[in-house]
Amino acid sequence: MNIEVRDLHFVYPTGFEALKGISISIGAGEQVALVGQNGAGKTTLVRHFNGLLRPASGSVFIGDWDAARCSVAKLASRVGYVFQNPDEQLFSRDVGTEVRFGPRNLGYPKEKADGLVERALSLTGLTDKVEINPYDLSPTWRKMVALASVIAMDTPVVIFDEPTTGQDAATIARIAHVIAELHALGRTVITITHDIDFCAENFDRVIALSNGQVLLDGPAGEVLGQEEILARTYVEPPQLTRLGKRLGFKETVRNQEEFLAVVARSAR
Amino acid sequence: MHERLSFHIKRDSALHRLNPLTKIFLVLALILVAFLNPWYWTPHLLVLIAITPLSLLARVGAEYFRAAARLILPAVGFLFLMQAFFQPVGEEILFQFYFLDVTRESLMFAFSNAMRIFVMVSAFTLFLLTTHPSELMSDLTRRGLPGQFSYVIISTLQILPQIQARAQTTIAAQRSRGLETEGHFIKRAGSLIPLVGPLVLGSLVEVEERAIAIEARGFTSKSLKTSLHDIPDSSIDKALRWALAVIAILSITLKLWLS
Repeated sequence: MNIEVRDLHFVYPTGFEALKGISISIGAGEQVALVGQNGAGKTTLVRHFNGLLRPASGSVFIGDWDAARCSVAKLASRVGYVFQNPDEQLFSRDVGTEVRFGPRNLGYPKEKADGLVERALSLTGLTDKVEINPYDLSPTWRKMVALASVIAMDTPVVIFDEPTTGQDAATIARIAHVIAELHALGRTVITITHDIDFCAENFDRVIALSNGQVLLDGPAGEVLGQEEILARTYVEPPQLTRLGKRLGFKETVRNQEEFLAVVARSAR
Repeated sequence: MHERLSFHIKRDSALHRLNPLTKIFLVLALILVAFLNPWYWTPHLLVLIAITPLSLLARVGAEYFRAAARLILPAVGFLFLMQAFFQPVGEEILFQFYFLDVTRESLMFAFSNAMRIFVMVSAFTLFLLTTHPSELMSDLTRRGLPGQFSYVIISTLQILPQIQARAQTTIAAQRSRGLETEGHFIKRAGSLIPLVGPLVLGSLVEVEERAIAIEARGFTSKSLKTSLHDIPDSSIDKALRWALAVIAILSITLKLWLS
């Protein structure tokens, strides 16, 4: 499902102009990372995708739906949104019920909902925790419950708002696995992140925002190499990218495989 | 992102610069004079010669008049009507409304009472407009008010906007999960648990974290604490407080002497 954003402007009631004319187009099945300093407009932008915010001017289309004309509940069937803090949304007595909340709201038949819940639970590693109260789990696992509860809604587009903040390596790997699985299913994944290594390792396309405008937009390898431009929105390229540059590599490397490939080639 | 719940307006004026305790003295003196002075027109005069000029002096005139028109006048007006109709005093009936008599005395009584309340509430409004709550509390704590007491006041002012912001995020998160928060009553009543649950649980967790955070900074320590903010208390403040105290005592003695 395509997302088309055309000349989007948004102003908060306080008078702060958060988005100053954003135009992007995200194709079905793309893996997009949104980076940029705090206040650059990342969250404001994605909140237009599921109707939580309405454009001041410009338009947002999710497939053939004009996001400005659809209710949030309706858009929820196309765009899933995982919020940053799981504690602001978990309320059920056990994990299973919590994860089933979204599919039930969307009115899926029972058999379909069962299958989706099961898949979401196994993707996030929660299968053996179905009967536990979410608040008896550690914050890390609560985050996975929040993830599962959105994945179970089986939306063509899934948005993650800073999924890796404060998580250990094992959890980050699990989140990366979830994103890879969603990719395999052909879902569009849009992730807001400050974790630039996570971004370099898992995303094909990177969009850098700064002061409500698109600073850079392109394949991860290209965008993450633009050290000077990224510095304007306080984003530092991944360590290996910078190391590769210092070593005088011609191409931009962003992860271990690419780095090692260049080293192997020059050793030959 | 979210503001503290307070009326305070940050401006530079003589009234803003006064010590918070001096302003409390000022408010109390105004109230005592308004309520105890036997002359009928005292409260009316106070509004004219004290409260209105003070609001202009503090450069919060516009905000004060807005608060007066929107909040104080309706409340005081209601009080006036109730007392005018239901006060069973006086003989001279001005007009009747079904079984309710409005006499000259009840009208006079209601008017002066309403004006007294008006003085009281607007004096407090001026105080709140020109005093930052944490400035007031740190000054009072420095003068010996127990820290627990100021914590209760300050945290209440801070927690409400935080809960409000939290509620907003929770609503956004649940709507993103397809929860219908608009529409007919039964649907909305059903959406209450997903909204209230995280709010209550999260707020409880926050209270605990807050307690740990302030304890980590020595909240219950018995030793003398210093303050980062220096709250000025000039000799003008002290002189003003004495003068206001004298005025207050004079009105009390005058009242006792006359009765």
